[in-house]
Amino acid sequence: MRRATRAGGAPQRYSAASLFRHGLTHEDWERVWRTVEMRRSYDAVVIGAGVHGLATAYYLASNHGMGNVAVVDKGYVGGGGSGRNTAIIRSNYLTPEGVRFYDRSTRLYENLSATLNFNVMFARRGHLTLAHTDASVRTMRWRAEVNKLEGVESEVIGPDEVKELVPFMDTSTKTRYPILGALYHPPGGIIRHDAVNWGYARAADSLGVEIHQGTEVTGISTDRGRVTGVTTSRGAISAPVVVNCTAGWASLVATMAGVRLPIITHPLQAAVTEPVKMFLHAVVVSGSLHVYVSQTDRGELVFGASTDPYASYSMRGSLEFTEELATHVLELMPSISKMRVLRQWAGLCDITPDFSPIMGVTPVDGFLVDVGWGTYGFKAGPAAGEAMAELVATGKTPESIAAFDLARFEEARLVGERGAAAVGH
Amino acid sequence: MSTAKRLLSGRPTKMRITSRPGEVIDRSKPVRFTWNGREKSAFEGDTIISALAASGERVFSRSFKYHRPRGILTATFHDPGCSVQVGDEPNVRGSHRLVTAGMKVTAQNVWPSLKLDVASANRAAGRFIGAGFYYKTFIKPERLWPTYEKVLQRFAPGGRVSADSPHGSYDKRYAHPDVVVAGGGPAGMAAALGAAEAGARVMLVEEEHSLGGHLRYGSETELAALAELRREVEASGAIEVLVNSAVTGRYDGNWIAILQRNLPHVTERLVKARAKVVVAAPGLIERPYVFEGNDLPGVMLSTAARRLLNLWAVAPGTRAVVLSANEEGDATAADLSDAGVHVAQVVDARRGEQVVRARGAGSLSEVELGDGSKVSCDLLVTAVGWTAPTLLLNVAGDRPVYDERAARFVPGDGLPANVLATGGIVGDGPTAALVEHGRATGRAAAERALARDGTSVTIPSLSPAPHPALYRSRTHGIVDFSEDISSKDLVSAAREGYDSVELLKRYTTATMGPAQGKLETINTVAVLAEATGRSIAETGTTVWRPPHVPVSLGALAGRVLEPVRYSPMQPWHEAHRATPIVAGQWIRPEHYGDPAREVRTVREHVGLIDVTPLGKLDLRGPDVPKLLNFLYVNKWLKLDIGSVRYGLMCGEDGVVLDDGVTGHLGEDHYLMSTTSSGADAVAHWIENWLQTTFPDWQVYMTPMTTAYASINVAGPKSRELMSRVVSDVDLSPEAFAYMQVRRGTICSVPGCVMWRIGFTGELSYELHVPAGYGLYVWESLLAAGEDLSAGVFGLEAQRIMRLEKGHLIVSQDTDGLTQGYGVGLDGLIKLDKEDFAGKQELEWQLERQGYNHLVALLPDDASVVPPEASQIVTGDRSIVGRVTSSRLSPSLGRSICLALVAPQLAETGKSVTVHLPDGTDVRAKVSEELAQFDPGGERLRA
Repeated sequence: MRRATRAGGAPQRYSAASLFRHGLTHEDWERVWRTVEMRRSYDAVVIGAGVHGLATAYYLASNHGMGNVAVVDKGYVGGGGSGRNTAIIRSNYLTPEGVRFYDRSTRLYENLSATLNFNVMFARRGHLTLAHTDASVRTMRWRAEVNKLEGVESEVIGPDEVKELVPFMDTSTKTRYPILGALYHPPGGIIRHDAVNWGYARAADSLGVEIHQGTEVTGISTDRGRVTGVTTSRGAISAPVVVNCTAGWASLVATMAGVRLPIITHPLQAAVTEPVKMFLHAVVVSGSLHVYVSQTDRGELVFGASTDPYASYSMRGSLEFTEELATHVLELMPSISKMRVLRQWAGLCDITPDFSPIMGVTPVDGFLVDVGWGTYGFKAGPAAGEAMAELVATGKTPESIAAFDLARFEEARLVGERGAAAVGH
Repeated sequence: MSTAKRLLSGRPTKMRITSRPGEVIDRSKPVRFTWNGREKSAFEGDTIISALAASGERVFSRSFKYHRPRGILTATFHDPGCSVQVGDEPNVRGSHRLVTAGMKVTAQNVWPSLKLDVASANRAAGRFIGAGFYYKTFIKPERLWPTYEKVLQRFAPGGRVSADSPHGSYDKRYAHPDVVVAGGGPAGMAAALGAAEAGARVMLVEEEHSLGGHLRYGSETELAALAELRREVEASGAIEVLVNSAVTGRYDGNWIAILQRNLPHVTERLVKARAKVVVAAPGLIERPYVFEGNDLPGVMLSTAARRLLNLWAVAPGTRAVVLSANEEGDATAADLSDAGVHVAQVVDARRGEQVVRARGAGSLSEVELGDGSKVSCDLLVTAVGWTAPTLLLNVAGDRPVYDERAARFVPGDGLPANVLATGGIVGDGPTAALVEHGRATGRAAAERALARDGTSVTIPSLSPAPHPALYRSRTHGIVDFSEDISSKDLVSAAREGYDSVELLKRYTTATMGPAQGKLETINTVAVLAEATGRSIAETGTTVWRPPHVPVSLGALAGRVLEPVRYSPMQPWHEAHRATPIVAGQWIRPEHYGDPAREVRTVREHVGLIDVTPLGKLDLRGPDVPKLLNFLYVNKWLKLDIGSVRYGLMCGEDGVVLDDGVTGHLGEDHYLMSTTSSGADAVAHWIENWLQTTFPDWQVYMTPMTTAYASINVAGPKSRELMSRVVSDVDLSPEAFAYMQVRRGTICSVPGCVMWRIGFTGELSYELHVPAGYGLYVWESLLAAGEDLSAGVFGLEAQRIMRLEKGHLIVSQDTDGLTQGYGVGLDGLIKLDKEDFAGKQELEWQLERQGYNHLVALLPDDASVVPPEASQIVTGDRSIVGRVTSSRLSPSLGRSICLALVAPQLAETGKSVTVHLPDGTDVRAKVSEELAQFDPGGERLRA
């Protein structure tokens, strides 16, 4: 049996050929990432082993040669929002800055399977944002125009074309919320979120990054305004840079460093049905009906909605959520009433006053944040990780994230994606 | 005739045996249905699978990945291989759903076909496609992934939905029982009785088609005990029994969701019960044993064999091997013998005897035992232990703990006071002990529900009996039958590093299928524990999540009750062929055929528009001026009675929130109007301020939007028209000037509010009439204005006219980033006010500059109307603005636009490039005024 003990060595390649060889020999696969003793000091500590934390660590090692990095998480890899979201990828945002940022992320996602040598199953099924009022048709057209000028494929289509893409959709005018059109974004789609997390973790590990699961950060040490490390449930670590990538818990973790974040955590619920044979190829979003739905390769429908209206750290599902969800889904596709909800769950969203993330430096030197992603953090993971890695390595805030700094809340420079980011998925 | 002989005789119901004492079928009522197009017979009371099994069928589906044949495993709702398609309904639980006459049942996972055995090919391929194989291949070239994906999709399990299925009949019910008992086995029935005896109103919910739990397929003593319990439950007037119903979840505040499936004419009903106390009595689920060949048709649980035998009088096989680790296994062997099935061997696990593997082509033919001996058989029954389905307890905050002695997870001690548990989930014992525990628990539940002392109730102890820890034989076999995950897959994934139960679950998808871990979780945990050298207790278990059984979207949605708002004038609009437009909650006329003609009617004569959706808030109290002064950016402390004023509202972020006029009707009495779409938001906004920041202000707000029907009468002849229907208000321009409000009588209807404002740019009166008189006033106005060429106009004509006047529409000409300055109303904003919503942000906006400006644009080619949302670009295609509104103006005979543009473009005469959605560019000039029509406003002041 081969037990991996590599540190920074080339990882075992995954391919059809290696699958075949393992099938013949029944040799164990190398461990996807190592389990090693935690050391007392690293060049950087990333808190949170979700897509943002893992991507940050991966790009630190791959783009900047900084492999002496620990990613610590109180749970397991991808156990938070990164493993609970509805895994929709798109770049059809409203502001040119937003479009560019998410376009970068989408492009990284497109090549991620090859980059990480891990199939993340990005399926560009096409993404439809339905418009039920003339006001939303106008907003869709606005987004389409901005997208096209930024080189992102996006167009407004009519009810007939919607029907062609989604034959189950009720596009008649007799419904309560008639479908007047949709923003069609062909490059949008769905991805296997767990695979993204594991792929980043494995690739980062192979470049020397250490991933410590079950390691809860209990304190952040500072000295004269500079971060010096973290204390964890498994001992203290010293590090000149600490990056907070803890999403729903971001404001609690930041408080440990004495940094207050303007973040309120809301639960966001999701549900999945039993599988049926493929009938819904596109990802369908309705802002007016507060629902988004896609069908996985396994045949399940995955649903999400808007965040719960109250602030909470609870990850229990509510009955009202599934009731409203079902009502709205059947408004769109009345013929699937016999499909059954199999499971529901909730994740936590860290929401800022302007529905935009907070990325970059804080008043504590060396304590960096990549938080406030609210309901749309997963799709931003790669681009955010890349930018955060650049910031950690160079000490300079990259242009692409400059607008998302923490200081904007004191200097009245709010950024807005409210029209596109806060509602749609 | 022995079963074996009858089997050979080839009769259609060849596995049906002679009458059993507890059978639930009615042999006097035959039912015919079809299976994959072939006619089959059944008796009333048969499930789809019991009927098919009676006719000799053994294979009901193919497994998800390897497409191995799947037969009966549990003969319950959760039977993983027995999901079938019934008509247009996918994933029907065939071991639960009763056969009805004419039912069309088809197998759903049959690729390549139900009969064709591709097991050998699959076994060969299986070694290359272990759990998670897809993460390791199809990586390059990436352009081929969509093709691979389509292949994977073909393997997707499940039935089919069809786009023309009717919605079906679903319903909801609210209930307020004192006690809900989840589970109608002996303990559950006794709990319901105990609670009812103590004075509680009880709802007893049972998943199966009749009460009784395991007693139903038990011994004669057990059947006798069941008959007695049933008699008592029926005799009690305080127990409502819901059978074929399932408690699907418990939510905060003991909000219990129950899926009821036993109603005539209603497919499913969601019962939502606010229970004072809930008693969980779900019993135990028998767990499968893991060994090579454990998924062959013919290998089943002891409870499955007993259910087939004793409920439906179906022989589960002809020659059996029984692997028994407990009394239930022994009882099954006895039942099989009694029913004429030859028991070739009982393998007693308590004596260390083992089943190592099962073999067979397509279905079971031989079992290999621990000593190497082989026994030929077509039935292998396993009785290796139990799982406690603790969902209800988990969602109430309890964490199950592993009991080494009993070899199962048992409830922890984290239950809240309003959740109790009884029966098998708590412990084991003879029927009498379960009943005694149930009855006492029910009494305790009633005591708590009725807020009595409750100290008199002593609940006897009931603890799990010792049981050998049997999870896996020395061979590998299937752990998750729905997902086709073997113990070998789990071991391999754990060694690869997916070695916590959550990671393992996600990587292999074990426990993620339709049974949601009820059969699979414990074996997954046991195999993981074995692979990692940890104990089961250290390994822990996954979290059970609701719902307990899948719930249809139809039941969750219930009846379709989406509210629509129509104005009282809707009958007139419909009669006059108005084209409807959905505007939020409202549906209103967009136009009546020709918007341009409607514009001319208003500009030349007089027109009526139904503006009922306008938000209307009645504000009373001495502090209303302070409130208005805080909400709006302009000043409101001085507004004479009889006057109205236009106001702009901004959010705390300085972003334009709403606009409208507010009139001072009388002492301490104001009427505020809001935009149609903003009515609710503004009401919430006001309520929020009053409750959180200004609780001491004396202001009473009443939303009046639907209490008034609102009509705007606009056009040069509107005063003439008004004078014919208003008797008690002096309408002369001197007495009732622009921006004033009067109360009076219109068409003999008293209590109307009318104000002179002018969104269309014409002399106009906005009338707010008690809603019940809306249609009457509307029709009377039209009749009175007939000789004035009075007509009607819709939303579209209004939009054209307001655009000609350069009046902005909030959220069309502004967006989520548009702050107060720059929208043409800068003069309105009074930063010298002490405080108002958004003041700080507006100060910063002014300081910072650089914000976009709302301007009027006139395309150089007057015939080109740039579609709304066309972007304004620079030479290098950077975006510097966008067209927010555009129309062909009938009054001016040319195209006009409003646009939000970067500050450097907001200069009169500036020429800009407008990029149209079709990809072409046009030029347009910034106009001096926002208004293109009557910029001086002489017409509306007439």
